[in-house]
Amino acid sequence: MSSKGPGDIPFHNPGWAGNTGEFDLTEDQVRGDDFVGSRPLAGAHPAGAASYPYMLVEKHPESPLFEGPYRERFDKILTRYPDARAALLPVLNLAQEVRGHVSPEAMDRVGELLDLAPAYVRGVATFYTMYNKRPVGRFLIQVCTNISCNLCGADEVMDAFLRYSSTDPGETSEDGEFTVMEAECLAGCGFPTCVQINSRYYENVKAGDIPSLCERLRANGK
Amino acid sequence: MAYPYVSDREVRVISTQFGDPEARTLAGAKQRGRYQGLKTALGMSPDAVVDIVKASGLRGRGGAGFPTGLKWSFMPKDYNKPHYLCCNADESEPGTFKDREIIRWDPHQLVEGCLIGAYAIRARHAYIYCRGEFFEATQVLARAVEEAYADGLIGDDVMGSGQKIDLTVHVGSGAYICGEETGLMNSLEGRRGEPRVKPPFPAAVGVFGMPTTVINVETLCAVPHIVVNGHEWYRQWGSEKSPGTKLFCVSGHVRKPGNYELPLGFPLMDLIEDICGGITDGNALKAVIPGGSSVPLLTAEGCRSCALDYEGVSSCGSMLGCASVIVMDETTDIVKQVRRMAAFYAHESCGQCTPCREGSIWVTRILKRIEDGRGTEDDLDTLMELTAQMVGTTICVLSDSVAAPVQSSILKFRDEYLALIRHGERVGTA
Repeated sequence: MSSKGPGDIPFHNPGWAGNTGEFDLTEDQVRGDDFVGSRPLAGAHPAGAASYPYMLVEKHPESPLFEGPYRERFDKILTRYPDARAALLPVLNLAQEVRGHVSPEAMDRVGELLDLAPAYVRGVATFYTMYNKRPVGRFLIQVCTNISCNLCGADEVMDAFLRYSSTDPGETSEDGEFTVMEAECLAGCGFPTCVQINSRYYENVKAGDIPSLCERLRANGK
Repeated sequence: MAYPYVSDREVRVISTQFGDPEARTLAGAKQRGRYQGLKTALGMSPDAVVDIVKASGLRGRGGAGFPTGLKWSFMPKDYNKPHYLCCNADESEPGTFKDREIIRWDPHQLVEGCLIGAYAIRARHAYIYCRGEFFEATQVLARAVEEAYADGLIGDDVMGSGQKIDLTVHVGSGAYICGEETGLMNSLEGRRGEPRVKPPFPAAVGVFGMPTTVINVETLCAVPHIVVNGHEWYRQWGSEKSPGTKLFCVSGHVRKPGNYELPLGFPLMDLIEDICGGITDGNALKAVIPGGSSVPLLTAEGCRSCALDYEGVSSCGSMLGCASVIVMDETTDIVKQVRRMAAFYAHESCGQCTPCREGSIWVTRILKRIEDGRGTEDDLDTLMELTAQMVGTTICVLSDSVAAPVQSSILKFRDEYLALIRHGERVGTA
């Protein structure tokens, strides 16, 4: 998919501070998708096999953990650190990538694999905000409402998402599509309001864009 | 290809490839001069690299402004223990958005900087700790790292020099405090990202118990240019104590927000009025936060003579921090925005130290009470007293960061607090 600016996409520019649509890059080029391509997430080299919280749109709470390609990635990640404990966060990420959240059972499984006590894993997992402790919708929408975005109308954007999905902050809409929550600064301050939907950033989002943005999500998955 | 809203007053050293998708590929990066610095550095001794960085006067761009060369010189000068270099790409200070731009437009510049840094401090392994939210940027970086491995730029024999340097992209999981260097090290070790008591300092006992240096993305990106062009070249910009160029992240109520690379010491008002095209809708300026949400606010008057370097901003009663300029115009509700910042710190406090854990929550509650028109004038004294106890009493400076905006806003915008307390009147709308 490529697009050249405002009009055909509901957000005015993907990640360009103040851009008014006069530049000649496609969305793929701006996001870096054209360079990354269909790179396997396991990476060509273990150095790039990093795992990410919030990855797949088609996540499923019952997906098998650490099997097939995920086992391969798990092994690759383990080779990058002097001790197994350091792989804890990346491995929790892996669990969340496929399931969309990290359940107590998943944490226990991670603990077993890395030889860490279940209580220890629980303690670490609850420290970090990106680990969902319960299932989330197909689209996890995180709206930055911190100062720079807030100055430029982030509260209205947040309200518009909540209105569209008829849900409360942190809750999932009845159709299971949207979970909307407030986020702390996403480091997109020059492009307010910055919204993270699953793993992608949507920048310069205005309250009026929300219905078309959500329709696009439903249709395209991103 | 030009990055939108460029200004001819910019001096681009590390932001030259912003907006140029070709620079992401290894071939494109090499054409643009990447890895020349690494080649030069490998021809020097590690200590000579440290010396040139020291002579350049480069200061850490992550907020504290500590001289980079000096920091490197604290590392042991032998290979008896494994050393580690950690690149801090956990950019999460509200108002800061420079590191993500660097990573996604010019990943090879960062890889090169990491390799030179690792060579200089005798590290065999460098980690780039990216914040978990940066999926797209991290994918670009991971791809670039793989290309560099395949080309022999990273690995067992870096550029045929016999040096072994590995590099790993590590992704965090959402915690502001992991941007603090010891919090980052704990997080990298697979622990809760709670900052550690210093001493021991990271150069003695760091990640995995070994000598470690933690450096910001932007700092590392400046290193290859200094190595290639020399320290005198870098000192042509900025001042004696703050040499070089810096990315300024301008956000808030300006017509053209964005990243602008400028020599240190650039006048703040020129940045707002000239480069950023002035305030949105021609409104009047009310306040500026010059260095991210952790530093004191400046009033419009206080900005007039402010020069953007470490000393200049300090003399105006604030801090340069990571040069994240947040501009607030006359429509800004200062009380609301300060409460929002306090709420952020309350959320991100790791909870180790009582003054921070309890203080940040109570500050937020009192500010909320004032914002809702239920505050009293005594509340302002309480806030000042409470925040005074939060400065310098904790392991890290997150607690001090709560105090800075609260205290400065009460001192400089007391009228706005009083309008709410006495008459229930909000001064602004944003």
